[in-house]
Amino acid sequence: MKQIIRITVGLTISCLIAALVMGSVFVITDKAKRHNEHVNVQQTMLGLLGYSTSHPAPPELKLYSIYRYIFTDGNVNTLGYVLPVLKGGGVGYQLMEMDLDGGFVAQYPLDLAPEDASESAERSAALRKAIKPPKTFSYADATIVAKLGEKRLAYLLPGEFPGFKTFIHVMLALDPSFEILGLEITEQEEDPGLGAEIKQDYFKNQFKGKSFKKIKELHVVKEPLPEEYKAYLESQKGKESPIPKAELDVIRSRYQDKDIYALTGATISSKAVTDGVKNMVAKFAYRINRLDKVISARNIPAVF
Amino acid sequence: MPATTKTNFQLVSNGILNENPIFRLALSMCPAVGISTTVMNGLMLGIAVLFVQVFSSCTIAAIKNYIHPRIRIPTYTLTIATWVTVIDLVLAAYVPAAYKEMGIFVKLIVAFAIITMRLETFACKNTVSASFWDGIGMGFGFMFGMVALGFVRELLGMGTLLGYDVLGFRPLLFFVLPAAGFFCVGIMMALFNYVEIVYNRKKRAR
Amino acid sequence: MNIVIRKCLLAAVLTVLAAFLTTGCATEHRFIKKTAFKDTNQIVIEFAGPVDEAWAKNPSHYSVYEKPDPDIKLKIQTITLSPDRKTVTLTFADPLNQNQPHVLTATGITSEGKSLGTAILSVKKVYLGYLFSILIGAMIINNFVFTKYLGLCVFFGTSQKKSTAVGMGITFTIVIVVSAMMAWFLYQFVLRPYRLNFLQIVVFIGLVSLSVQAVDTILRKVNPMLFKAFGVYLVLVIANCIIIAVPLILADNEYNALESLMLALGAGLGFLIALFLMSSVRERLELARVPPTYRGLPIAFVVAGLFALAFLGFSGMSIF
Repeated sequence: MKQIIRITVGLTISCLIAALVMGSVFVITDKAKRHNEHVNVQQTMLGLLGYSTSHPAPPELKLYSIYRYIFTDGNVNTLGYVLPVLKGGGVGYQLMEMDLDGGFVAQYPLDLAPEDASESAERSAALRKAIKPPKTFSYADATIVAKLGEKRLAYLLPGEFPGFKTFIHVMLALDPSFEILGLEITEQEEDPGLGAEIKQDYFKNQFKGKSFKKIKELHVVKEPLPEEYKAYLESQKGKESPIPKAELDVIRSRYQDKDIYALTGATISSKAVTDGVKNMVAKFAYRINRLDKVISARNIPAVF
Repeated sequence: MPATTKTNFQLVSNGILNENPIFRLALSMCPAVGISTTVMNGLMLGIAVLFVQVFSSCTIAAIKNYIHPRIRIPTYTLTIATWVTVIDLVLAAYVPAAYKEMGIFVKLIVAFAIITMRLETFACKNTVSASFWDGIGMGFGFMFGMVALGFVRELLGMGTLLGYDVLGFRPLLFFVLPAAGFFCVGIMMALFNYVEIVYNRKKRAR
Repeated sequence: MNIVIRKCLLAAVLTVLAAFLTTGCATEHRFIKKTAFKDTNQIVIEFAGPVDEAWAKNPSHYSVYEKPDPDIKLKIQTITLSPDRKTVTLTFADPLNQNQPHVLTATGITSEGKSLGTAILSVKKVYLGYLFSILIGAMIINNFVFTKYLGLCVFFGTSQKKSTAVGMGITFTIVIVVSAMMAWFLYQFVLRPYRLNFLQIVVFIGLVSLSVQAVDTILRKVNPMLFKAFGVYLVLVIANCIIIAVPLILADNEYNALESLMLALGAGLGFLIALFLMSSVRERLELARVPPTYRGLPIAFVVAGLFALAFLGFSGMSIF
């Protein structure tokens, strides 16, 4: 009997010590993890806009985030946008509710500080104060608008879609006419050497420069990538390339309106990325047009 | 087995050569086949295993006198699980890109037979410092195996090493597939066997 | 008594199956019998009675959207009505993403002059099909040994003879189903609500040890003969990577109870298949002339490599 008590006590103490160790490590690393994630996302976004350490972003460049939610009240769905607006000399956030046909419904002030907006827990707390039950809300997606001074430079869309293995997370950059400025694969778990090649330049950069019209009919062709196109795609990094600029322009115009060349042994991954990007662009263009209409009709002091 | 009389250096070299966990003891082969597609992956997992092995060995060696014999295994499991969680959280926070590539394997370190076995056969009978060096030996043996496999597979499969283009072309994409992992480990084991046979033959001849 | 229990069990299983088969297609409106996807860009609606042609052929009476995007309505290209006026087929301009549930709203259904109100229906693929695809996926397409290379130590250790292999496989399947269900239960009700995700590893491995102990004790009491045959493998089950991987995967993907059961069953059966295939080959290898350096494990690895290549043929397959 004494043995059993000793064993139980010993086990319980070890469990408690273990839990303490793990708990403290978790608390310490969680903060570092979120900070690192934030820094990574910032770097990806600046990279897509063409800025890097050797070509830093000018101070007039501002990134504003718009968050989209879906509100459900019984059987009725409405859209909710958390918009950055001018508030008391600085930037604050406001909630705007829109119905599914693009009509304005209501506007609510939000108690949300700019630094907290990127944390989903903070946004949910602020929304709960504004939206009362039985209405419930669920997060849909986010859009980041890059503004250089007074004009919109680009839209940055984080998105995810199912790939060959699990989900693929991407960051897409569009210019105001919805032409693709760049595509970055932020997270993927595809097969190394096969599907994982979607993060290589010679696949990603094929999307660069595709116009909105072409994106709507973008397909994947199972043909080998032409050598000159590959050389062009890999020279896009900004490094000195052995091909003169004039020739690069010729190659670009030749392949501008062609479909995406699939990766060797990774047709499904290539198709997944192409379809995912197509969907993202089509849906975003539709939504941002409606949002802009409502904002200008109601004179909402949006900063983007 | 009584407390060891080997020197620290002998302990370490034992882990790398004589009792190499992957090729000689044939334990923990899952990551050897799955993760050794690139040198970087092999290195990261090797570091993780080294960390877990060293810390678990030291912890068990330090508290070996307080463990009741009947709850040996649960105690080992609990220690290993704790350290695996710690390294998992640390890697996820500080090197998220490389961590994602390793997928589920960092969490699976808890199921590696090698670590439990080492605790059972060595750490619970030796001092903290001896266990420390043995842990280092085993960890490095594992890392050596993973890096060697990763070296062969990455070079022959993708023509790169640690991400840098070495060959400029891709000899055989086959080596990146999981099937090739099996082949490579099998061939490496055969190599180790061959070396042992030759060594024994030489020893007998003397 | 036994026969009565068995009959009750069979009836229960059949009822559950029937419930799933019908709820997959059942709708929330009494007049609409069934909705389903057809081909790549069609939705078929079956009514309980004939509908008015004027109502059916008007696209403005229908509104279809993908569940997560309620503000984007899909464009209907053509509508066809069957001759008995009980089936309506909507054809869309673009192919439908059938992996997402779609919400179809049919307003003001009129049948023989009477208005039957508005119906809001959910169109999705048959749930049973989804469950089955998880099972087949874990069993063959993503076989845990040959495609995910987990559980190799035990695999190579017990695949020398067919009898040991089959014994290990069956024991393993039982333990993994038990521990996966317990793991799901704990994850849903304890770990997730209290945000204790980082304790996953410790909790799951504790569960595995517990379930091994439980199966050990139960088997000893209930069926000693079975225990004599399979008992020795129970200890080996703990050192198996797959047994930890399954709870981790179902926690990651947030499967519900039925899906976790399918995953665990698929993993166990896949392991059994792999063991059986491997042991069949190894028994014959014993009689072959293998060079001394390759004898034992090296040649087993090469054989496993060949199997892995064969299983590569299944990759990318998707049923349902």
